[in-house]
Amino acid sequence: MTAAASDEPAPSAPTEPLYVASRASEPDIADFASESVIIFDVEGAIQYWNPASEALYGWPAITMIGRGIAHLTTRSENEREHWRLLLQEGTWQGVVSRRMPSGIHVVVDIRQYVRFAQDGTPRDVIEYGRQSPGDNSIDSAGWHIPDRLMAAGWEVDVSGAEGLIAEIAQLRQDADADEKLLHARHVELVEAARIVNVNERTMRLVGGNRGRDLMIGQPVAGFWPLESRMVAGQLFADAMLGKVDGAAYRRQMPSDGILRDPLVTVWRAEKPGRLYVAVNGTVDDDRSYIYLRASEARYRKLVHHMPVALWQVDASHMGRIYNDVRATGVTDFDAYLDEHPELVDLAATTVQVTDVNRAAVQMLGGSGPLDLMRPVGYLFTIARDSLRNVMIGRFKGQESHHEVTKIETFDGRVRDVRMSVTYPKQVAELDVTIFSFEDVTEHMSIEAELRQLQADFTHAARISTLGELTTSIAHEVNQPLAAIVTNAETSLRWLSRADLNIQKLRELTTRIAASGRRASDIVQRIRGMAAKRQPERVAIDLNDVAQESLLFVRHEIESRSIRITTDFARDLPRAVGDRIQLQQVIVNLLVNGVQAVEERGEGERQLFLRTGDESGQLILTLRDTGSGIPPDDVERIFQGFFTTKENGMGIGLAICQSIVAEHGGSISACNHPDGGAEFRFAIPIGPA
Amino acid sequence: MPHIPLVAIVDDDESIREALCDLLMVAGLACRTFDGAPAFLADRAARGVDCLITDVRMPGMSGLELLERVRADGSNLPVIVLTSVLDQGARARALELGAQAWLTKPVADDALLDQLKAAIGSEHWPVEPGP
Repeated sequence: MTAAASDEPAPSAPTEPLYVASRASEPDIADFASESVIIFDVEGAIQYWNPASEALYGWPAITMIGRGIAHLTTRSENEREHWRLLLQEGTWQGVVSRRMPSGIHVVVDIRQYVRFAQDGTPRDVIEYGRQSPGDNSIDSAGWHIPDRLMAAGWEVDVSGAEGLIAEIAQLRQDADADEKLLHARHVELVEAARIVNVNERTMRLVGGNRGRDLMIGQPVAGFWPLESRMVAGQLFADAMLGKVDGAAYRRQMPSDGILRDPLVTVWRAEKPGRLYVAVNGTVDDDRSYIYLRASEARYRKLVHHMPVALWQVDASHMGRIYNDVRATGVTDFDAYLDEHPELVDLAATTVQVTDVNRAAVQMLGGSGPLDLMRPVGYLFTIARDSLRNVMIGRFKGQESHHEVTKIETFDGRVRDVRMSVTYPKQVAELDVTIFSFEDVTEHMSIEAELRQLQADFTHAARISTLGELTTSIAHEVNQPLAAIVTNAETSLRWLSRADLNIQKLRELTTRIAASGRRASDIVQRIRGMAAKRQPERVAIDLNDVAQESLLFVRHEIESRSIRITTDFARDLPRAVGDRIQLQQVIVNLLVNGVQAVEERGEGERQLFLRTGDESGQLILTLRDTGSGIPPDDVERIFQGFFTTKENGMGIGLAICQSIVAEHGGSISACNHPDGGAEFRFAIPIGPA
Repeated sequence: MPHIPLVAIVDDDESIREALCDLLMVAGLACRTFDGAPAFLADRAARGVDCLITDVRMPGMSGLELLERVRADGSNLPVIVLTSVLDQGARARALELGAQAWLTKPVADDALLDQLKAAIGSEHWPVEPGP
């Protein structure tokens, strides 16, 4: 190569791939396969043709890539139909004859598989081929038999329906028999027939997400399409009533949305009371079986890996019971269940769990899904009422039901769970109720911890407020004690005198008792404030609470020569709240007010306390004649750890706000036009 | 007729006023009670008392202010402060203003009566009616 040549544009890469298609990773492997491997796109154009294909057919890859295969076949007119079926069914196998470059035909056994993209649409078709053994027969060993060729097989037990079959026989002989009645009996026979076994295809076609194990023992009607149940019943009866052993009864059914023109064949099994049923037919166009299967697989995978624990439940028989109960005119199902508690027991023991996902197994600590595939009772060992609620929800025709309840795991732990139940939309033949349980134990315990923390904090703030009032409290408790001591000593003096004054002694003793009670009342009040306790919700009178609060600070206010003006609204409605906590708020505001007045040190020394109610709320305002709140602080005054006091923690007003908020109310602060700050809180008027 | 010493009691707490008054009576003294400093100052008759017992923390006017006002009027009236306030500064101020004593509540009867005797003078002290 010369230097000049390197200045020329590089030759473009060959646009035609050789026999390696652009999706190269798998073909690399297939290059070394001894079997012919061909990949088609969904249109049938060859994308990849491995060396073994070259060897088998004689056509080099370069002549085949991008072309269809029809020109090699002798049945090209069928090719389109074949391709359509292949894409629909997902797989095909058979023997084909293909032309070699020499003009000689080679007979090849091929298997074709459709590969699907993530969204369920066909991505491409991969074909494996090898020269057929001379006899052209299908070597079945190791070859997959297409689903389409198989019948959906059932083994059915009608031994429990002898009476019904006898009645059908009777009705059939009776020329005047009511045809409707006969039809109904045929349908009943399908309901009475139990599934003994089903094959793979039946399971996939009608089993939904349930495995074979969960179909066995169930009524055939639970899985048999509604449209053809009556005909199925006729065939069952025909087979049971037929004179000849081994005779098969066959009927073409209407398309049922699952299979197109299914052909149903029924014959008696060796065992008495047993029937075999075979259903042939291709999957209905309207419901692409492959697509359905792919989407179902994806759905199952999605559901299986969902972090929420899911239970699928078959409560169809309960639905029928509810219908019967409703038909008798019952509307208050709650009351009905009070009278019939056995119905809840029935649900617990007969409503079967038909599927669960991995999260469900994990939540309960089972070793596998089968541990959970039992009647639902085990979900409600702790909270039986929740099952009852679920039943009431369905009876009322709700779409769903939600509640927080408790569930017991297999190793005996109790978890808090949020349960959601989605009921079947309408009474369909497959009656599926979905339960989801979300473990909220951690959440609940965090909530409880937060509540405890807040209670502790509120309590600490109360103690701190009491601390600020120590001097006043000491003075207040000391007053009655001083009176008691003096009165007692005076009594002793009287007792030591000759002229015993009984009247005087009685008076002194009475006063001692009164002062003792007064001291006790004060201690009681402080103990209420100081005690660590859980908040309670009782009906309260805001005026009473405000007056009690004033008792705490009365001395504080009076001894500092502050005048307090109170204006209590008459006939205030009640609110629901915690008395001590609301006292705490008011005491806090009062102490703040006293401090504001004290700090200013000049001018009027007054507090104005007012109660009232407006628009459904109880209002308390407290105004002081201090120097007001600096405008910059008005916004921040209720924030935690905001303080302008040298030794303040800055939690007083923050606690006030959280207490008021807990009561569903609000608190605010502003500066009064006549000077000083005004605090105002409002709490909703509650049920008395 | 011997002079019966008259003691004024200023306290905002009625139970204290009543208790002290009864104690003084059993000791043979006479007393007048006032529910606050302004009431005492407003009463002309109060000027004739032999001793004043006052609390400190009271609404309207504190015991210390009352003492200041009494001294400002040039009176040497003996004043006994009877309080639950433990403030040393206030105590020093009271003694500086010539208070007879600073007693804390609850007070022992003997302690109070001893101070009253010292204030009034034993020559005026009534002979306690003995048994």
